[in-house]
Amino acid sequence: MYLALRELRFARGRFALVGTVIALVAMLTTMLSGLANGLVDDGISGLRRLPMTDLVLQQGSAETFSRSTLTDADLAPWEGRDDVDASPLGVSFVNARTDGGKTIDLALYGVPAGSFLAPRPDAEGALEGTPGLVLSQELEDEGIEVGDELTVVGVDERLPVLGFTYAGSYGHVDIAFTSLETWQHLLYGDNAKGRFSAIALRADDDTTLEAADGTEVVTKEEAYAGSPGYAGETQTMSMIRWFLLVISALIVGAFFIVWTMQRSRQIALLKALGASRSYVARDALGQLAVVLVLATAVGGGVAFALGGLIDGTAVPFRLALVPAVSALVLLVVVGLLGCLAGIRRVVAVDPAMALRAAD
Amino acid sequence: MSLRLENISVAVPDGATERVLLDGVDLDVGPGEVVAVTGASGSGKSTLVAVAGLLRQPDGGRVTIGGTDATALKDRRRVRLRRDAVGIVYQSSNLLPALTAREQVAILAHISGRRDAAAKDRAIELLTRVGLEDRLDARPAQLSGGERQRVAIARALMNEPVVVLADEPTASLDPELGELVMQLLIDEARRLGAATVVVTHDPDQAGRADRHLHLHRGEVAART
Ligand SMILES: Nc1ncnc2c1ncn2[C@@H]1O[C@H](COP(=O)(O)OP(=O)(O)OP(=O)(O)O)[C@@H](O)[C@H]1O
Ligand SMILES: [Mg+2]
Repeated sequence: MYLALRELRFARGRFALVGTVIALVAMLTTMLSGLANGLVDDGISGLRRLPMTDLVLQQGSAETFSRSTLTDADLAPWEGRDDVDASPLGVSFVNARTDGGKTIDLALYGVPAGSFLAPRPDAEGALEGTPGLVLSQELEDEGIEVGDELTVVGVDERLPVLGFTYAGSYGHVDIAFTSLETWQHLLYGDNAKGRFSAIALRADDDTTLEAADGTEVVTKEEAYAGSPGYAGETQTMSMIRWFLLVISALIVGAFFIVWTMQRSRQIALLKALGASRSYVARDALGQLAVVLVLATAVGGGVAFALGGLIDGTAVPFRLALVPAVSALVLLVVVGLLGCLAGIRRVVAVDPAMALRAAD
Repeated sequence: MSLRLENISVAVPDGATERVLLDGVDLDVGPGEVVAVTGASGSGKSTLVAVAGLLRQPDGGRVTIGGTDATALKDRRRVRLRRDAVGIVYQSSNLLPALTAREQVAILAHISGRRDAAAKDRAIELLTRVGLEDRLDARPAQLSGGERQRVAIARALMNEPVVVLADEPTASLDPELGELVMQLLIDEARRLGAATVVVTHDPDQAGRADRHLHLHRGEVAART
């Protein structure tokens, strides 16, 4: 890369231009990755944080809690097993109003007192005594306090806020825990008949979990897909990211071909001086690789800095180092692949061209 | 013989027929010997340099450099032979715009896989020999035409080639400067003991050579 590096310095302006474009694409890719993560988090963090491994749902519910109804009869065989912890779980979306008149959406988890799903030891007590709510941390940040009373819209039940637990949301709605009895009462009134949405299981990886008739067992991760909006959002995001990859390969490849054509006389000279095909190929690709890596690093760096600024605002944005960096590495690889399309022209330059007078 | 061309012929397709660029050209050049090649425009002088410099395979005949039959070599080995045994000075100086004078010469060592300090020293020594010791860090855009050709001469001599070829190296210079540059090239090639072929339009310059070859439509029309 003797010539390549010196050319980089010499033709700085030209490389800065294409470098800026690449950096912008890298920045966009990283921001999207952060946004995608943030959205996923916002969609399923409340589910992910539940300390379970699998879920039993009604057959045909398509991982959607609102389509699944189970009873104690379904629970019994699981409770009889030694190698599995099982707990009924109610999940539904409710609307609540503060005394100040503000309406909030809640993803309400109904959990029996003493269940391994109970968010925290201190919350367990709250699930046992007077009916009440243990809310996601985010709601405390919004100004709701312990002792406030929330009115559940529709059934007009008033429930006190008993405490707060970790921040989490499900289907972009903040979570709230309540006792299973309260949950059943809110949903079915006096006619609950022991119904709930699903059974949460906690088991080792190698435990066989055989679903009984009329039910199905899904892993916790599989259940994410049932979160409202989850599939659509993830697909849209990954489609945008694939487009960006293709665009960046095209940009880099096109620049490479134009640039290579411009310097074909110099490549001819290199070959006339005795450079092998692989020498000129390495020189040309190495040059672009340097630009790609530097520009991508700068773009990614800027995105991380911006991410730091966004952090803590309402925008769902979370940058995870490993996926973000792998996306950037992929960007570099794809850019180099774009160049490979043009490398044929580089190695095929006729060294005799060096003899022709410059015109 | 350092350079031997035997019965060289080159033809290119021209519509349905073919056009003969070189036809049965023979040429022997010994170590330290200088041969001038003249001929009208289009007579095949540059083609002859391309063949002798292994930039182009002839359609018939044989090129031998330092005892090796270059026409029989595989592509890879021929490229290596060109790198190690041939130095070429082009019509227009053909320098790389991004490199300083020192780098134009030193890049040859890099291409050959030698990255030692001795190579750098040799580049400076050669540039000093052609009178450019004050212009080591100048790029082509900052050099005059004569200076550029002198850099090109230093570059052609860098790998201590067995064969030095020059295709109208003074065409872009005024006659007086051309004289000087040509003399410098001949002196340095002789000092190195290289077999040297110089293409020129100028009868005076041709007169400085040991021998003389005149081309007419791809054939040797006269030799001395
Ligand atoms: N690759 C090619 N394809 C077709 N014709 C070619 C090719 N290379 C050279 N020619 C033709 O061959 C002839 C000889 O060309 P060459 O460059 O050897 O002439 P020359 O003696 O160097 O001329 P000049 O003094 O103008 O440099 C010219 O008519 C040229 O147009
Ligand atoms: Mg010519």
